[in-house]
Amino acid sequence: MISGALRGLRLAGWNGAMLAPALALVGVFVLIPSVVTLAGSFFAFGITSSAWRFVGLDNYLQAFADPIFWVALRNNIIIIVGSIISQVGLGAILAAILDRGIKRGSTVYRTITFMPVVISSVAVSLIWLMIYDPNVGALNALVKAIGLRPPRLGWLGDPSISILMMLVTAAWANVGFQMVLVLAGLQAIPKELYEAAALDGARGLKAFWYVTLPGIRNILVVGILITTIGGLKVFDFVFVMTGGGPANATQVMGTYIYLQAFTLGNMGYADAISIILLLIALALGVAQLKLSRRG
Amino acid sequence: MPRFRIISIALHLLVSVWALFVLAPVVWMVLAGFRTRADIFTQPLGLPKSLGFDAFVRAWNTGIAGFILNSVLVTVASVGLIVAVSSVAAYVLARSDHPALKWIYVLIVASFAVPAQSVLVPLYQIISGAGLLNSLFAIVLPYAAYGIPFTTVLFYAFFLEFPRELEEAARLDGCNRLQVITRVVLPLSGSAMASAAIFQAVFVWNEFLLALLLLTDKRIKTLPLGMLNLRGQFSADWPAIMAGVTMVTLPMLILFVLAQRYFVRSLAGLGK
Amino acid sequence: MKIGNMIGLGRIAAAALMLAAIAAPAAAEDVTLKMWTLDNTGYPEFIAQAAEKFKKLHPGVTVVHETFPGDQYKTSIQVALVGSAPPDVFFNWAGQDAARLVKDGLVLDLTELGNADGGFRHTLSEGWQDTFRYDGGIYGVPVDAVSVYLYYNKGFFDEHKLLPPKAFSELTGLCKAVRAIDPNIVPMPLGNAGRWKAIHLMTMLNERVVGQAASAADYGLTAPADQLFTNPGYAGAYGALLEMQDAGCFEDAPNATESEQADVMFSSGVSPMAWCGTWCMSDFDTAGVPYDMVRFPAIEGGKGDAGAYFLVPEGYQVSSKTAHPDLAAAWVSFLVSDAQAEKFAEILKFLPANANSIDKVDGATEHFKFAAADMASYSAGVNVLDVLLEASVAEAYLNATVEVLNRTLTPEQAVAQIRDVALKAKATAGL
Repeated sequence: MISGALRGLRLAGWNGAMLAPALALVGVFVLIPSVVTLAGSFFAFGITSSAWRFVGLDNYLQAFADPIFWVALRNNIIIIVGSIISQVGLGAILAAILDRGIKRGSTVYRTITFMPVVISSVAVSLIWLMIYDPNVGALNALVKAIGLRPPRLGWLGDPSISILMMLVTAAWANVGFQMVLVLAGLQAIPKELYEAAALDGARGLKAFWYVTLPGIRNILVVGILITTIGGLKVFDFVFVMTGGGPANATQVMGTYIYLQAFTLGNMGYADAISIILLLIALALGVAQLKLSRRG
Repeated sequence: MPRFRIISIALHLLVSVWALFVLAPVVWMVLAGFRTRADIFTQPLGLPKSLGFDAFVRAWNTGIAGFILNSVLVTVASVGLIVAVSSVAAYVLARSDHPALKWIYVLIVASFAVPAQSVLVPLYQIISGAGLLNSLFAIVLPYAAYGIPFTTVLFYAFFLEFPRELEEAARLDGCNRLQVITRVVLPLSGSAMASAAIFQAVFVWNEFLLALLLLTDKRIKTLPLGMLNLRGQFSADWPAIMAGVTMVTLPMLILFVLAQRYFVRSLAGLGK
Repeated sequence: MKIGNMIGLGRIAAAALMLAAIAAPAAAEDVTLKMWTLDNTGYPEFIAQAAEKFKKLHPGVTVVHETFPGDQYKTSIQVALVGSAPPDVFFNWAGQDAARLVKDGLVLDLTELGNADGGFRHTLSEGWQDTFRYDGGIYGVPVDAVSVYLYYNKGFFDEHKLLPPKAFSELTGLCKAVRAIDPNIVPMPLGNAGRWKAIHLMTMLNERVVGQAASAADYGLTAPADQLFTNPGYAGAYGALLEMQDAGCFEDAPNATESEQADVMFSSGVSPMAWCGTWCMSDFDTAGVPYDMVRFPAIEGGKGDAGAYFLVPEGYQVSSKTAHPDLAAAWVSFLVSDAQAEKFAEILKFLPANANSIDKVDGATEHFKFAAADMASYSAGVNVLDVLLEASVAEAYLNATVEVLNRTLTPEQAVAQIRDVALKAKATAGL
């Protein structure tokens, strides 16, 4: 594929010169590493050892038999689905309110809601790590203040809720972005459409259903795609807040690859998990292309 | 219209609750920097007893200024590289119907789907093998590589709609192909450029995973690593950690509030 | 495809190297030794003064010192050693990780280099030298050893007429007694968010219940497959951990509490006991809390050697990629010389491997002297589990301990999980 492309390039030197930097960078840091990852996934080798041993599909079989791999995959799915509901859903609702629901203060609300987008994810993680801390955290103190009992093992220490706590943090950080995205879409809907709908007797919720939703359908698809890819790639929040713990309960694909490759030194195994992640990402990309073409 | 009144109040209440939820952690972060460790432990929800800057000094002395400088350098270099490289590539792709270029476009779109996590091992080996670990320059290259696909696709769509008459007019005026790009196309692509640049700047400024892997020397760490460093160094000294996070975050927030019009507009443009 | 890619690769590499060459400082004739250590309080000060003196002996040698937090250290060092810019000299714990680096050929054999004039082999005892001996070679210079003690607040104990525990049942009794005084006081906080605090406790509990004589074959994965980690003592040790938890020793969420938070609870007088390393002494001294320390008590009916105790030797290894093996070896030897060992103990308050001048250490506290004497009197050193065990088994032990504390696994289930991982590791290692 690339060779054909490059033969074409030589025919068109100008095109080649313009494309070369982009292709070189993408080739060296994205495409070649992908191929090397694929090759590495058929070998057993450690971070500090130079001996590569061919193991065929063993790394993949090991992944399918590894309960933590499934925990990580499940957590990615929880984060993706949870984020679509909380971030895109809430973002759309807030955007709809700011667009047509209220008259005063919408700029202030928009500014505040969007603010966390410019805070780096490590900073967000640190802020929320302190909020969730069982000893000095605000959340424990608040919950106690209203007479309830905080979780005994801590918000991030309790394996049954720690992943949900991550979702709350992610929503805090990202709802603003989704809101702004949807808001732009809403403002692009011509007012005449609403007027025409009103003549046909469609107001309020009905207008929302028949005019607003179709108008922002494509934007919602983009928002869902960004959220899905973000959920698949999630690393920073988990790495900083729990490191995948307690006992792997919040492990995601990204942190598990890092753990296997650089902490436990199972490079070949990490490569196999990487390829699985890559295939999922590619499949999602194709699905999105299909979806947006239909629209 | 009392019914309308009630709905309006309810809607205001709803957005206010969310706004409060967003603001509270930020306010709490700033306040925590002024408190003492013992004070936070005994009264997590209390207010600072005095306006001492001890924690800020402690945090600043971990080298925050250097981290900020490194992040600024990396961000400017990466975004510059991404925009320059992607814009010319996208222009060529959008203006030629050579079959090979179709394939290249597909390849670039496909590489957009490759998560950095899935190529960590070889990426480390390549950069390490080239002797470029712990170099700010070295981290700019993969940042650019991961920003280019998305930006190219963005520009591609933009250039498809760019009026060709303008380019043809310029050619008639005697501009060569390069001059058409630099004098006509790029100056008129300001909004697309700004949109892409801001989006990539946010990405590079916050990037953590590759930096964690490729930058271990404290002198060239970027801000996200610098903040993680705060936690490594101060562990449970929350006032110092929060003071550090405040010093890094507050300027960004102020910058954002001042320039939010452009910021929001350009990010919203991504959805189109 | 290959040619095209190589053109791209070559171009970018050439550009990269050119720019890197411009960016790099002009090559000087001076030698720079890069050194990595943990970020313990005082380490930069110790290395800085040593480097200055070393420069007088070896003009032109500059030491660049970089420090790392403990959580990330093991990962950082492995990644760096295979990378293009490894440190010449680096800190490591004597144990499984150090052995793995030796096996993979990443560290230098110092057996001969250490024999040079002023070499560490003339200053350190044979016993200490053996701590980094693998396959007959000496692959590191031990600089100090750390242990973990049970610290208690003397003021609190005097006030409430409590006595330091001499047996495990007295320890759990103490926890109950403290809770009886005030149920809100956490008797002995366990900050296990980083997972290593509880593993330090399990190291001692395993030793007390199972004993090194029996555990060595399991830890080294040399026991026959059908016997590996089948000793009921391992579950018994977890049972003891749960006994402590049931007695109210720990706070509610040990797995979500930072280790330092737990230490601060003790040093600020909030909690009357702490399970803390010898490295905690200087922080407790600074905080001014009136404390004393005792060994972790024996467990009734346990099979361990009563005189054996927690002891982790630590030291410096030299990268096999260093361009200056002689100077690197001279530098690490210099760091464990009599005068520097004294400085080391004075600044870091750690027990130096070279104890020749331990009596001359400036500002040595009673506690420091106690620990120095006590550590010399162990009948055997017990290395900590996460350093001693093979990486995947260590990971399994860390996680199992978290789950036992969370009550998501029973002791038996936890040990069964560890055994599964150990069996796999044994098969992979071909043992």
